[in-house]
Order: sequence, then structure tokens, then C-alpha cells
Amino acid sequence: MVNRRGFVKSGALALFAAGFGGVPSFIARAADSKKIIPPYKKNKVLVCIFQRGAMDGLMAVSPYADPNLKALRPTLYMSPSATEGGLTDLDGKFGLHPGLKNLYPFFTEGRMAIVHGVGSPNNTRSHFDAQDFMESGTPFNKGTASGWLNRAVGLTGHDGSPFRAVSLTSALPRSFYGDNEALAISNLQDFAIQMRGNPMATNMAAKSFEQLYDETSSQILNRTGKESFDAMKMLSAANIKNYQPANGAVYPNSALGNSLKQIATLIKMDVGMEIGFAESGGWDTHYNQGTANGILSRNLQDFGDSIAAFWKDMAAYQDDVTVMTMTEFGRTAHQNGTGGTDHGRASCLFVLGNDVQGGKVYNNIKSLAKADLEDGRDLPVTTDFRSVFSAVANGHLNINNNSKLFPQWDGSSLSMMKS
Amino acid sequence: MKISLLYKSLAVGLIITLFSAFSVMQEDNGAAKDPKISLPYKKMGLTKKQAAAHLLSRFTFGARPGEIDKVADMGLEKWLEQQFDGTLDDAVLAEKLKGYDALQIDNDSIVNTYLNNGQVIRVGIRKGLINKDSVQAAGRKEYQDKLLAVMKQEGYKPIAELQRQLINQKVIRAAYSENQLKEILTDFWFNHFNVSLTKNQSEQFIMTYERDAIRPYVTGNFQDMLVATAKHPAMLEYLDNATSISNNNDAGKKQEANAKAQLERKRRQAEKDTSSRIANEMMAMEQAMNNQKRQGLNENYAREIMELHTLGVDGGYTQNDVTEVARALTGWAPRPMFNDGVAKKQLDRLGDDKMAKQGIITEGDFLFRGNKHDEGEKMILGHRFPANGGYKEGMQVLELLANYPATAKFISTKLATRFVSDTPSTALVKEMAETFLATKGNLKAVMITMVNSKEFWAKSALREKVKSPFEFAISAVRATNADVQQPFQIYTWCMKMGQRFYYYQAPTGFPDRAAYWINTGSLLNRMNFGLAFATEKIPGVKLNLIALNNGHEPESPDEALAIYSRILLPERNQEENIKRLTALVRDANVEKKINDAAAKNTAPVPAGDMQGNDMMAMNNDTGTGKGKKQKAKTALNKKATDPRMTYAAGNNTALSQVAGIIIGSPEFQRK
Repeated sequence: MVNRRGFVKSGALALFAAGFGGVPSFIARAADSKKIIPPYKKNKVLVCIFQRGAMDGLMAVSPYADPNLKALRPTLYMSPSATEGGLTDLDGKFGLHPGLKNLYPFFTEGRMAIVHGVGSPNNTRSHFDAQDFMESGTPFNKGTASGWLNRAVGLTGHDGSPFRAVSLTSALPRSFYGDNEALAISNLQDFAIQMRGNPMATNMAAKSFEQLYDETSSQILNRTGKESFDAMKMLSAANIKNYQPANGAVYPNSALGNSLKQIATLIKMDVGMEIGFAESGGWDTHYNQGTANGILSRNLQDFGDSIAAFWKDMAAYQDDVTVMTMTEFGRTAHQNGTGGTDHGRASCLFVLGNDVQGGKVYNNIKSLAKADLEDGRDLPVTTDFRSVFSAVANGHLNINNNSKLFPQWDGSSLSMMKS
Repeated sequence: MKISLLYKSLAVGLIITLFSAFSVMQEDNGAAKDPKISLPYKKMGLTKKQAAAHLLSRFTFGARPGEIDKVADMGLEKWLEQQFDGTLDDAVLAEKLKGYDALQIDNDSIVNTYLNNGQVIRVGIRKGLINKDSVQAAGRKEYQDKLLAVMKQEGYKPIAELQRQLINQKVIRAAYSENQLKEILTDFWFNHFNVSLTKNQSEQFIMTYERDAIRPYVTGNFQDMLVATAKHPAMLEYLDNATSISNNNDAGKKQEANAKAQLERKRRQAEKDTSSRIANEMMAMEQAMNNQKRQGLNENYAREIMELHTLGVDGGYTQNDVTEVARALTGWAPRPMFNDGVAKKQLDRLGDDKMAKQGIITEGDFLFRGNKHDEGEKMILGHRFPANGGYKEGMQVLELLANYPATAKFISTKLATRFVSDTPSTALVKEMAETFLATKGNLKAVMITMVNSKEFWAKSALREKVKSPFEFAISAVRATNADVQQPFQIYTWCMKMGQRFYYYQAPTGFPDRAAYWINTGSLLNRMNFGLAFATEKIPGVKLNLIALNNGHEPESPDEALAIYSRILLPERNQEENIKRLTALVRDANVEKKINDAAAKNTAPVPAGDMQGNDMMAMNNDTGTGKGKKQKAKTALNKKATDPRMTYAAGNNTALSQVAGIIIGSPEFQRK
């Protein structure tokens, strides 16, 4: 299985070997272990985007055909329209918010699926608790030490790269807690030995550190030290600062846009990344969320444009990449007294990739009639988030151990990926 | 304060009586004396100085210059006794903490002073200071201005200020307190009973939690700390026990029946009167009943108190025990404190008589709501708790858990893992657990058993642990006598290195394992911290390296390396490292290159280019055109200085670079 020629030939590695006269130690280590099948290029990548604050799924992907919606949301109701500012009809039942119009082509191409009515069986309306449960993947257990994406990394069965799981955040997200190595870095350019304005001293310091870590008797410091320097050299070779997106893609100059751009950089470098994680904030729209314009619209625009730019940039890698979005819960079916919506239950999410059976809004939503709402007020959770997450992990990352991925869950995965 | 007299007599009298009759009580407590400290380091082949170095590396945030000698001279046992007492004069610390005005205030003041944005908006709308239709419709700036206006009028302060003081005080105490063990243990126990600033509902209370529920108990009794955490608003909110309620009690059943009857009356009224007013009233009542129904038993805290705080995950409890403990702790909540809040007004209106009638007890910042407590019988870990146990029942449950054999083992394992090695022996854990049970959870006694063991002093245990990022950063401050004027900068670096303290989201706390702290990104940042710290690139962190060597400037880079290795890493054999590094720092070419570049190139380089190019210079010694320009710039910065490195107290001198390398080295990461 191990094809060394292919391994050295593959893109960044060849560059690396030529430029630095050696194979990085973490790759050598990986190649020695039976678990891995280099080249890394064969690995699939899952990119997760967490929308913190709870996105209003009823506005992002609006069940406009339900007559109850207009009554529940007199000033927030939107309907499909050919003119600017209306929803884009998806299937006669749901309509896509105009802010997400750049995602619509992926839907029609059958690459993007929308799942509606998604959420947690735990009915907490606390952001903190709901995010915690969604990220640990155990909706009734606070004490689960690991996050589901960290477990996913372990279950891919691959080993070796320090970039297996990378979060473009300043601190490790709850999803990444756990025993498998995972990295949080808000800016890839920081991945270097740095002494501002003094390159000679930087050079000397880097060499000194490399020697010291090479010789230390502490195994973990020794091994990680080697990997750090290898990884650092690899990143510097890629010239991150001058990264040019492919295919004319233009990322929004926003937190999410920048995060996705850096994830794209890592993917193209074949550094062995399997999970990328990015965050998007500002979804807690209690006040005046607006319709075609306003705060929610601006957020959706940034969200949709960032993902669309990423996908365009990924042109040559689309077979290997899936993007999945998530948010901790949805918002009340009715609008509140301040032109916004309060904490509710189910929301919707997007899954984009060539492994996805897209072009469809997967849902078990009955209606927005009061009797069908949870506690008479919220879109009930009709699809457990784990049945979506596990479907994507199974179908894209080839992980087939749901009992380890989501302990204490015996539900079944949603059939939404190509087999 | 409404401390009910009835309660006081209950708490002090009745509860103690009940406790002493309780079946888990094995022997008379209180009489147990602390074991004598007797440290067997000689038997384990350590010199007194080596032993002092080891003791300081585990029980302080790092030895200061000269401290190893000092401890060896005074005697290790005596030093440790002082640290357990924790009453050494802390004048330097007090001076450093001057101006931190939030650290001594109580929860009532905090709740009414430091509000988060959401709370400020709600007040603003209610008082008509913010038009509810304008919130978030306007730009960010206008929105902020409105918040500020409300805060100004109401006398609120931003909650970020409270959190800044909390974070800064941790850095300052760790760096400058003479009572180091107290700080180490506060860090350890906070992490054991973790709460987090990430949760809005608890963020106002984290500061007082550490101050009032953790710090006073770290060398005291485990059960006392468990009770203090269980009743503190931070924990009640963080693990949701504040929302865990039951109507299985007389008052609750009556209330429910009343609500139902009222709704029924309204319904009949609605049949006759179809006006929208009546319909709306009915809807509101239905909503209220629904809300009531939605609340109920929440098992989060019950599960974690057993899994994480006491018995441990394999401690022999079942899901049924979790539910039963949760039932026993229903009705536990923080006392409402927000003056403008509905809950506080309601409670204030009740008065003592009505409170007693409804079974409501306040005690400090804790509130027991008898009318929200499950009064049924419970079976917990094979012990029967009869019906109508009220508040005291929860206290008995905490006592049972605190003194359970599995708890003794779990706590001992955790302490030994933190202070001895990542993999302590079962024999050591057993010995510590026996002390725990025999002394009814005397934590000082348990720690003495630990340090009296041979295992603590085994050569294999020396430098076996890897410092956490916080320990690492503070140890650098202490090793260099650095003056930290902006503690928040240290926090920012700790975050980069992987430890955003006070923000760890999960109740597990940070894992205490080298493998958790050390990954490629965090390790590079440790090295960068060393360099930035020693070259004084961290704002508000000042150090004088020459003073550490009694004002004497080393004459060459080699000498600097030898001298500062000994200063910063005392009692460690550094010969090999020094030898290896000497070749590097002595590399005359480095200096020659700088001079050559200075002579040839004088073209300025745009400042914005610096960072990206650092890497190029590092990876390619021959240098591209850009690299050369950069060298030129460096040389220009150095202007007319001697090509030999100079040792003036300033940035980027060879000396500070050497110190930075030592601090970023693997040896300095170990403790």
C-alpha cells in the first residue's frame, strides 16, 4: 500500500524534500507506522463551521409556504420573489434567504444538502450548554472530556501529521478537546520562531532550539520539537502571506473568510489535515434582525460568500472536501417584541461536497401550527444533530464507529451521502 | 441579609447532630493531628540542594534566584510547614495588588455593578433609555454608545473590567506571593472544581468563587470545600443546579393546583367573554404553566459532582444514583441579588414568616427553596434518605460523597498526578487515600503523606512533569525577578500557548498531562515566549538580566550561556547543552554577515515586510535579495555598535537572546 514514490512526488512534499534536504520527521514516523497510507493527499477533509449564537433557521431557509409563518412573524416574514430581496424557492416549501444566494448554485448542482429541524434532544436554551453538548456530542453529559471532532480524528485510523485537526481560533474549541493531537492557531503566519525585526537573531534562536529539542531526554518534548520545526519549515515554504486563491475566488475580508482561506491553504499543501474548524459569530438576533437587509442578512451574506469563495478556491480538491455547518439551536417561531427572535429549539444546517446527495432539504418538519410546535413556541427537533454529523463522518471520512463517535447514542445516520 | 434564625439553629444544631449519627461517620473527627513532615530525600540519594530544588519546582511557580540555597539553609521541612500555614508576610504582593478595587467586593455589589451587555440592554429598555426598536438596527458604534449611556446613568461598570482584575490577580499572586503553595493549590483546586467564564450565567461569580469557595480550603478539609463549591452561585449556575427543581412537595403541589384552578376559571370566563383581553390573559397563563412544566430535574451537577468532584468515573455509582442525588439537590439556587430584578423583589416582599412557611432558607449567597425541593425518599449509594429531608438532606449527601472510599482514592490520585508524576504508583495512592479517610479529608495531612513518601523524591520523578503554560510563564518571571506591570500580557501569551485560564469550557478542567500541553503550535509559542520575554518584547514586562549576575556583564556569548544556564536552571546538569549551544552562539559568521550586509546594503525596507521575511532568512542562509535587505536593516538598527555583541540593558542584545533560548529550551519546560 505504501507508495513511496507517490509520497515524495506529491506537491508540497516534493518541494519540501528539495528545499530542505530531508523528509519531515512526522512524515517519516507516519510512514513507519503501519496505520498510515501515505500520501496524505488521499485523505478526505471535513471542514466544520460553527455558527455561534444560534442561527435563525426559519429565516435562513424559510418554510415560507406554511401559512402559520406569516402569522407568527408579521414583520419578519419573507416570500420568494424574482426581484432583488426575495427568497429563492428551493422546492415549493422552503426558500433560501437572499443573503445566501451564492450558495444556491451548489444546491441546484446537487452538491449541497440542507437539513432542517436539526438540533439536540436536550431542550436547553442556554447557548453555553447547547454548544457544549453539540461539541462534545453527548447531549446529556457535561463531563465528557473529549469533543466529537477529536474522536473523529482518532477514528480515521490515520496517524502522523500535526495538522490533522486544525482550528482557526485562538483557543481550542470544545469539539477539539481530547487525546488526539489538535491544533488551535488563529493565524498560520504565527507558526514560526519570531523575533520581530531581527532575522539573524531569529535564525540563531531557531537553530539553537532545534538542536536543544533534538537532544532532550524528554520523549514528548523531543518528538513534538522535531515535528514543530518540520511543520514550521513546511508552512514557510508555502508562502502563506502571498497566498493566491485559485479560480479567481475572492474571500470576504471577515473572520470567517480569513479562516476558510487559511484552511484552503493547508488543504492545498497536503500537510495531512483531515479536520478543519472555523467559527462565525453574531447569530444571537434578539433585536431587529431585519429581513432582506439588517443584521441577520449581513451575517448570512458573509457566511454564504465565505463558503462560496472557499468552494471556488477548492476547485481541484472538491472531491476530497466536505463543508458542514452547525449552530447550537434555532430561534422562536414567533418574533418577539423587539423585532427579533429568542432562543428556540431546531435550526438548519448546510452540507456541501461531492460526496453529498444534495439538492434537497432533508426534513421531518410537520407544520408551524401551535400544536406542532415544542412547548407551543419552537420548531421542534425532528432530526438529531448526531444523525447528520455521523452521516457526514461515515460518508465522507469513512468512519464507521458511531458508538465511539457518539457514545450513548443508538440512533441511525441520516441517509444523505452518496454511497 | 435574611439569615433566618430558624435556619441558624437548624444548621448548627440539628444538622451537626444528624451528621454525627450518620452511618458513614467512622470515627471521631477533629482530634486527628497532622502527621509530622519528614522528607526522605537523603534516603533517595538526593543532596539537600537537589531536594530543595525539587520541592520548589513542585510546590511553587518556580524558584527565584537564590531561593534554593535559602530553602536548603532553613531546612526543607520548616519551609514546607510555613507554606502549609500560608501566613508569610506578603507586602510585595499587596503593593502589586493596590488599585484592584474589585477583588474584595461581594456578590451583591458585583451583580449590581458589573453587568454584561445583555443585562445592560434589558435595563436600558425597561427604563426607557434604549428604544427597543432601535437595538442593533443602528451601527455598532451607536449601539455601543447607547450601552455606555445606560451604564453611566446606572453606575454600572463593564464586566470585562471585573474579569481583567480576576485574570491579573492570578498572574500577580502566582508571580509574587510568598505563600506559593497556597497559589499552586488554588490553581489545582479551581481546576478540579472547574467553572468557566465562557458561561454567561456564571461569569459574574468566578472571582468570588475562587476567593471564597476554593482559596480558604486548599489546605483544609475536603468536605468543606465541596460544600462551599456546591453552594456558590458560580457552580450552581455553571452546572445548572440552579435550574433543577421539583414540585414534589406540599407547597409545590398547592401552587400547581392553584394555577390549574385559575386557568380553569379563566377558560370558563373566556367561553362567555370572547374579547381579546381575556384570550391574551389566558394565553399568558398557559405560557406560564408551560414554562413551569419545562423546568424540572436537571442532572448535570449531580452527575459531575460524582464523576469529577468526588467518586471518579469508576467510583461505583449508577445512573440511578445520579438521578437520586439530583433529586436531593433540587431547590438549591443562588440568592437573588440584582436589585432591579423580579426575583429579588419577590423575595424581599415575602418576609421571614412567609419564607419559613414556603420552606425558603437563605444563607449568605445561597438560597434553598423548600417549595422547589423534591421531598420524596431517596436511595443513594445504598443509603436511605427518608422523605421530607429538606435542605439538610443535600448536606448529608455531600458528606456521604466527600468521605466515600472511592473519593479518597480519586482525590489522592489526582494530587499525586499533579505533584509526583503523570503515573503515580498504586501504593502511593493507597497510602494517601488511607490518610484521607483516617483524617476525614484533611488535605494537608494527605499532602504530607505524599511528600513523606519515597516516591516523591525518586530520581525518576525529578523534572518528570512538564509545566503548564501558566506555570512556564510564571516560572520565567520568577527565575528572572521580572517586573510584571501588565499581567494581562502574560495571560495573552498563556492563551497562545494553549491555556486560556478561567475559560476552560468543560467541567473536567484542563487535563493534567504533558501530552495535552505539548503540541507543535503550543511548543513553538513557548519558544517564542522565551525570546519575547527575555528581549523585553512583551509590553509591561521588565527585567534586568545583568542584575541577576550581580551587575556583571558576561564577556562573550559563551560566557553568557554558561552563566545564565546556571542562573535560570539551577541544580541541573547543563554541560551538554551548553557545549552544543556554544558552537552556535559563537558562530563568528553571524557577526561577520551582519557587518558585511551593513557595509553593502543601506536600502531601507518597508516595515510591513518584516514578518514574512523572517522566515526566509531563517530557511535560507545564503539569503535572497530580500533577505539581504533585511540583514541590512538589522545592521542599520544596530548602527555603529561593536560587531561583538553588546550587553547594554536593552532589547535584542546577545545576552537577552541567550536568556530567551534558555527559557524556551526543553529543560526549562520541565519541573
